[in-house]
Amino acid sequence: MTETRTETFPSGIVGVGLGSVTREIPVSEPPPWPPNADLTWIGRPVPRLNGRSKVTGATRYTVDVRLPGMLYARLLRSPLPCAELRRLDTTEAAARPEVRAILPLAKPGDRLRYAGQPVAAVAALSLSDAAEALAAMDVEFRPLPFVVDMDEARAPGAPAVHDAASAPAGHPSGFPAAPGLPLEGNVRGPAVVRRGDPAAGLAGADVVVEGEYRTQVHTHACLEPHAIVADWRADGLTVYISTQFTAGVRQELATAFGLPLSRVRVVVDGMGGGFGAKSQLGLYGRAAVQLSRAVGAPVYLAFDRTEEQVDAGNRPGTVQRLRLGAMRDGTLSALAIESFGTAGVTVGAGIGFFAERLYSCANFETRQHDVFVNAGPGCAMRGPGNTPGAFAVEQAVDALAERLGIDPLVLRDRIDPSPVRREERRIGAERIGWSGRHRPGAETGPVKRGIGMAQSLWMSNVQTNVACEVRILRDGSVEALSSVQDIGTGVGTVMAQVVAEVLGLRPQDITIRIGDTEFPPGGPSYGSRTTASITPPLRTAATRVLAQLAREAGRMLNAAPDEIEASAGRLQVRTDPTRFLAFRDAAALLRTDRVSAVESRLDDYGGFRRRMPDAAMALEDLGGVQFAAVAVDTETGVIRVERVVAVHDCGRPMNQLLLESQVQGGVLMGISYALLERRIMDRRTGLMVNADLEHYKLAGIHDTPEIETVILENLQGNSATDAYGIAEPANIATAPAIANAVYNAIGVRLTSLPMTPDTVLAALARTGRS
Amino acid sequence: MATPTKTAITVTVNGRPRHLELEARTTLAEVLRDGLGLTGTKIACDRGACAACTVWLNGRPVCSCMMLAIDADGQAVTTIEGLAQGEALHPVQEAFIEHDALQCGFCTPGMVMSSAALLERDPHPDAGAVRDALAGHYCRCGTYPHVVAAVLAAAERKS
Amino acid sequence: MNRFAYARPGTLAEAAAETGLVSEAMVALSEGAVLMAGGIDLLDLLKSELVTPSLVVSLRGVPGLDAIAQDAAGNLAIGAMATLASVAEHALVRASYPALAQALAGAASPELRNVATLGGNLLQRPHCWYFRSPAHHCLRKGGGHCFAIRGESQYHAIFDNQACAIVHPSTPATALVALGADVELHDAEGAARRLPLEDFFVRPGDDLQCENALRPREVLTAVHLPRLAEGTRMAHLRQGEKTGFDWPLADVAVVLVHDPDGTCHEASVVLGAAAPVPRRARAAEQVLKGRRIDAMVAADAARAALQGATPLSRNDYKLALFEALVRRAILAAAG
Ligand code: SF4
Ligand code: FES
Ligand code: FES
Repeated sequence: MTETRTETFPSGIVGVGLGSVTREIPVSEPPPWPPNADLTWIGRPVPRLNGRSKVTGATRYTVDVRLPGMLYARLLRSPLPCAELRRLDTTEAAARPEVRAILPLAKPGDRLRYAGQPVAAVAALSLSDAAEALAAMDVEFRPLPFVVDMDEARAPGAPAVHDAASAPAGHPSGFPAAPGLPLEGNVRGPAVVRRGDPAAGLAGADVVVEGEYRTQVHTHACLEPHAIVADWRADGLTVYISTQFTAGVRQELATAFGLPLSRVRVVVDGMGGGFGAKSQLGLYGRAAVQLSRAVGAPVYLAFDRTEEQVDAGNRPGTVQRLRLGAMRDGTLSALAIESFGTAGVTVGAGIGFFAERLYSCANFETRQHDVFVNAGPGCAMRGPGNTPGAFAVEQAVDALAERLGIDPLVLRDRIDPSPVRREERRIGAERIGWSGRHRPGAETGPVKRGIGMAQSLWMSNVQTNVACEVRILRDGSVEALSSVQDIGTGVGTVMAQVVAEVLGLRPQDITIRIGDTEFPPGGPSYGSRTTASITPPLRTAATRVLAQLAREAGRMLNAAPDEIEASAGRLQVRTDPTRFLAFRDAAALLRTDRVSAVESRLDDYGGFRRRMPDAAMALEDLGGVQFAAVAVDTETGVIRVERVVAVHDCGRPMNQLLLESQVQGGVLMGISYALLERRIMDRRTGLMVNADLEHYKLAGIHDTPEIETVILENLQGNSATDAYGIAEPANIATAPAIANAVYNAIGVRLTSLPMTPDTVLAALARTGRS
Repeated sequence: MATPTKTAITVTVNGRPRHLELEARTTLAEVLRDGLGLTGTKIACDRGACAACTVWLNGRPVCSCMMLAIDADGQAVTTIEGLAQGEALHPVQEAFIEHDALQCGFCTPGMVMSSAALLERDPHPDAGAVRDALAGHYCRCGTYPHVVAAVLAAAERKS
Repeated sequence: MNRFAYARPGTLAEAAAETGLVSEAMVALSEGAVLMAGGIDLLDLLKSELVTPSLVVSLRGVPGLDAIAQDAAGNLAIGAMATLASVAEHALVRASYPALAQALAGAASPELRNVATLGGNLLQRPHCWYFRSPAHHCLRKGGGHCFAIRGESQYHAIFDNQACAIVHPSTPATALVALGADVELHDAEGAARRLPLEDFFVRPGDDLQCENALRPREVLTAVHLPRLAEGTRMAHLRQGEKTGFDWPLADVAVVLVHDPDGTCHEASVVLGAAAPVPRRARAAEQVLKGRRIDAMVAADAARAALQGATPLSRNDYKLALFEALVRRAILAAAG
């Protein structure tokens, strides 16, 4: 049994209703933090500490790594959506003087299931040498029947993408989860979640709204492509990789190559965007390591933009049929959804847990199916499952509100049990000017304005397999170390704030060393879990290492170590701050060059809701509400988002500035998803026709509305920092908020994404409102 | 087909004349990154669609991925590494840090170069002019609101 | 990119002489020499290896090709090597040809406009995604059929789209045709000819593999804008899916000449992104001529502009979009 003590934590929303909660916590844990207003660095808008190296171009991204003797690799990819590899003769390519190694990734007889699937890899002296070697390969494909469209793939007689043996079963990330689901044709599923009796709930409803919603395939489009430099040496393997999870990639490498973990090192400094697509080593990563092993030289392998668009993951497309039943007062009597989604040749195209957990509804059912098509595999992307799920549910709830003649906010007050989101709705409504909202389509004139809102739901994930080290060196300098990676969130700066807060120093006094598995294991940067995972053990480690310094200072100041506190660059006696030592002078008393503490944590103070092997779920209800104001030009079909108000919670906000950036990023990706982006597959050739950044359109600076961000300080006394993530919640509500605003503007519901001029004009024409 | 040999060119890069031997097909972005080790200039699309690779050619921002290096012979190129004066950052760089106009930072060098060029040309831009100047840049992390704020603040500071 | 040799001649004649096929627009699948202006489009084609020349001839060494000058009669000559930015920023262009300045300001991105030239812009090859995809050997590249007509045609032509459904990629061209611009062409012997830009562009029905009338060993050297009649007014409008940097879904240039009493007596209405070449909407022009322009007239003309359109399966939204844009452009010009 761990020894515990009782502590009282502030609990509730600061400024709204702050109470307290009593927790039994391990004695090793630091005392409760007060609200941010009483802290020095936590919550402040501290500019990111690696900003200077980013604005000067000094940050080294994986694509910038240049090692002596480094070779360049490229992949040969299948040009066809479905083909049998008939011949792969690399003799001539291998004979070229610039070529150092060739690695087949498929063998004759293999079926290649999507255009862009890797077939072979080559390492050569330069990128163009590698490209020329690919062209010199003698390769023959036998075209096979294929299907790239989800609706066509569901039809009887559609070419089968997989057979029983090749079809992937369950998805480790679980959307939908269950293994062992039936496979029929190209359809795997359904994965069923049910409670109560949805049929009875619908039958007994006063009002039923039904709808079919469609979401497109959305690519991650990270600006830095997938990239790796593998350096295999006799004494071990070092891999530089653009990754969201250094420690995870290290484990994958050790397993794949039979190496002890101690001989594998994974490093990432600059990381140019992941959004879920860079969580694993991947086939390309393994290929680079194999090539490096084969030639005994470092090997560089990076995707070009086309490869990035076709084979770097994507957010699966969905079609969701939804039935929502309610009583006159708005009480939900049933929610039933049947969904089909496609993650290309793999599974994982579900709609998450948004419908399941957001609203109170006794009778509930989702039936989720994966549909295989001959296209590149999908993977997790910013709020996976819940983002397409929210697009349907939040529009249906608005449609229900209209049928019931209830304001959408009032309806949500009735059916959403979360007190936090209730407060968020109140704040957002005030800021967007909800009370001035007109009825749908009320404006005259060709350009019609409207206001809409939608909610977000995510979970507070925590990686439990996380540790941090804090060191105080004898010259007074301080280091914080973890293998955690900064994928753009600025986690290093948050770490410095935590350590500075504990040690009474400034964030810029803390040297942050991250992105390297030589340091204690940091968690993955996915699932909005990094801050929640890393900051509590970091604070504990800083507290522990401070205690070591306090022992030395206490001796000097004639005080017991627990009477010493750290504040404003000093160690002082709590009861008599005139007795102090400068931090540096205290450090000079150390008897060794440095003192250090490595800490991890076992559990949330209130207990995790759910535990997985290396991870846990702290809360099921990380929220956020977004409001959008749009202008729809009914003659051109162009939608402009003019304003977004995003009200979010993430436990204790750690850094106002960085959080605002995350929220803006989530909103912008949401706008881009709502209005612009779509993977376009040519049905006849099975190829993606916009595998670029020219016709695959991202929101640019002119598509950016005014974005107002409000972040609540929602304390719960769950950990040493009480901090949770925000990156995914910030993305989930945006598209449905825009869709609801468009409905308010034009009185026509747009049920498919993206809402481009063609779809807007078609919808207007159908309803005769153009 | 005859394989043409390499060509010698001289480009003034960040104020220093650099003599380069290269194949005609080498782009300016490639020679900066691989020939001169100036990897601050990023390549994200390699097709002119994202402006991550922006450098100054004779003081004007251009996409270095869409230009043959050989066409820069005899001209002056400024890259992100050449923008700061020693330790002193350009006001745009300072403002980008202060306003958190960067997340992953991959688009940032290009954004900074175009923003700084704008202020050379138009010391007092309004938000619309900033957006116009940055219309060619993609940022997947969504830094645009902070970028606009940063450039306006830098203009303020410069004057 | 394949390996190629590079030359930067000092005179036009040398440049023309070195190249068998001479414009950027003429280079598809050529193995010979190609001429390069700003190089934006050529680099895109080179990177996809849609063009694999043995020699690239840069025009950057030829002095004077980027000049912008007005002659005594008030006509404006714009050198083919003038960058889009320099033309857009030119005081005379802004003052006298605002529709061109507007079209230029919406073309490509600021960074590209600093390099891309007006000549190169007019000679861009199509941006049809099948054309740009090395995997699709379409009709225009000598293949058997057009992939767009029964395929993904959302950004394709709504007129003249029976054989090949490209839209002309140049937005400035829409304005230039409306303004009655000429192009000047020089050959290796020094002979020059001029022809209206409108006639310079070639329809798929006349030649499926080439988008303009340049002859072998001929170089586009300048664009000439006529001095405008008293009472001329104009507008250029574009609409993309994105607000900034994006290909237009539709763009429209309108140039009107009004009598002192306010009657329109000359009208030129040109649709971009509608057809394989910038499309004069003559029916719309007829509606406008002799009328005082108001909202009704503009609406009639806009409807007329879309007469005869043959949208494909994915682009019938362009009809409504163009109609709105034509009407607005007419009213903006008349305004
Ligand atoms: S529209 Fe023209 S260029 Fe495009 S696929 Fe058809 S023939 Fe080829
Ligand atoms: S990398 Fe040059 S514009 Fe995208
Ligand atoms: S900061 Fe990541 S792409 Fe702009």
